[in-house]
Amino acid sequence: MSALAVARIDLKRLAVRPFAWTLAGIALAMMAWQFLLGISAFMHAQPAVPGPASGPGYVDAVVAPYLLNYIQLCLVIAPLITMQALAGERGAQRLALLTASGASGAQIVFGKFAARLVFLWLLLAIVATMPLVLSGATHPDWGQFGAALIASALCVATLTAIGIACSAFTPEPALAATAALLIGEGLSLIDAGVRIVGGEGGWLGYLALHTHLAPAMRGLVRSEDIVYFLVIIVLALALAVRRVGAERERA
Amino acid sequence: MAATPALLELISVGRRLAGRAVLHDVSFSLQRHDVLGLLGVNGAGKSTTLAIIAGVLRPDTGRVRIDGKDVNDDARTLRDRIGWVPESVPLWPELTVAESLDACGRLRGLPGPARKAAIERELARLELTGIAHRLCGQLSLGQKRRVGLAQALLHEPDLLVLDEPGNGLDPVQAAQLRELIGKLSPKRGIVLSSHDLAEVEAICHRVVILHDGRVRHDAKLDASLDDRQGKLDAQFRAIAARPASAAA
Repeated sequence: MSALAVARIDLKRLAVRPFAWTLAGIALAMMAWQFLLGISAFMHAQPAVPGPASGPGYVDAVVAPYLLNYIQLCLVIAPLITMQALAGERGAQRLALLTASGASGAQIVFGKFAARLVFLWLLLAIVATMPLVLSGATHPDWGQFGAALIASALCVATLTAIGIACSAFTPEPALAATAALLIGEGLSLIDAGVRIVGGEGGWLGYLALHTHLAPAMRGLVRSEDIVYFLVIIVLALALAVRRVGAERERA
Repeated sequence: MAATPALLELISVGRRLAGRAVLHDVSFSLQRHDVLGLLGVNGAGKSTTLAIIAGVLRPDTGRVRIDGKDVNDDARTLRDRIGWVPESVPLWPELTVAESLDACGRLRGLPGPARKAAIERELARLELTGIAHRLCGQLSLGQKRRVGLAQALLHEPDLLVLDEPGNGLDPVQAAQLRELIGKLSPKRGIVLSSHDLAEVEAICHRVVILHDGRVRHDAKLDASLDDRQGKLDAQFRAIAARPASAAA
């Protein structure tokens, strides 16, 4: 109950903050531009495609790269939207107010995570609407589209959870955003060197976000990829709960 | 017949913060309907004591009991019996006064109709009806204090914990606050910290003076206001002048 109340408060606060609207506006404008560029490239490539059966379809050529672009954008947006979740609340005594109101560390963390996730998933839903608008003319592979959307949603949740954990562990929102950005970029680029030379990623490859997004973008939802995202989410939130729970022991 | 336990009991409470012992062996109690004033110079441990009572900080040693029950045994239930207003009132600046009270009601788990009734009651009691739709971030300090008090009273707590409630208020607002505390005390116990000895003398039934994290004075203020005026001031000055390490 308290987690829902915390989520409700934070969603309301996000909804009236110019910062969140500005961020959403910039993100959607950038995604709309990316979508137009993707469509344009797809249209130009049409004559060179040998045939519909063997060539890349609409989802391969437009939707998957477009959703990957949204995830790249979320590497920046998620830290910005989560940075004040806990780091900003501590100094203003609002975290203490929640604790005094009877909310546990877990309820506070889950509530704040849920509010930001709803915001980023709403953005994802709007982003996904753009390629859907053309579905009548492009006949997308719905299975592949769904798989790409599931992976994107899980990846966004992972970045949000990392942001919440960084916000729990740092006293300043800017520090939290920087830490979350570094971790996100680290997970995104950890195997970049190996990929460039065409080698096997090994355990570095397993840690990389790309490894777990690529199969879904081709339409393959693997349980190991879902487990990867869930493990990071649970780990990040557990660390945040532990840190917020320890507030009573600290100053 | 067994004696009724005190509404609030602190038993040998100790607490360290940032490697420094802030409270040592603090013990005092509060009966129902009493107003207890916690006095002390800056850094004496008043806010830490109040945060421990409110359940925001955990004591390193000792126990805090509400109606004879240890707060750590049933934290949620017992925290529902406490209303806390810290020195810097925590408000959500993006929410209106009414939304802020609604959020606090939801956090306390008040169901819809009861929450709505409680919000209307506190808006009226604290004269906030006229500013119910103003953003908390746009309120004056006095208004923020009243909203903080409304948040703390929403669930009708048995124990009200107020940290420096008169800080930053003009004389008119301070007089209104005294009047309000006078109205609230018959139904609940109130612990408040203050630097203003006149305020404490005017509204408290009992006073505890903390110095260097220890209780140096704990007595009832049962004489008439005219008789006790000046005595508390002399006691406070004598205690505050002691070196920090002096024994109680």
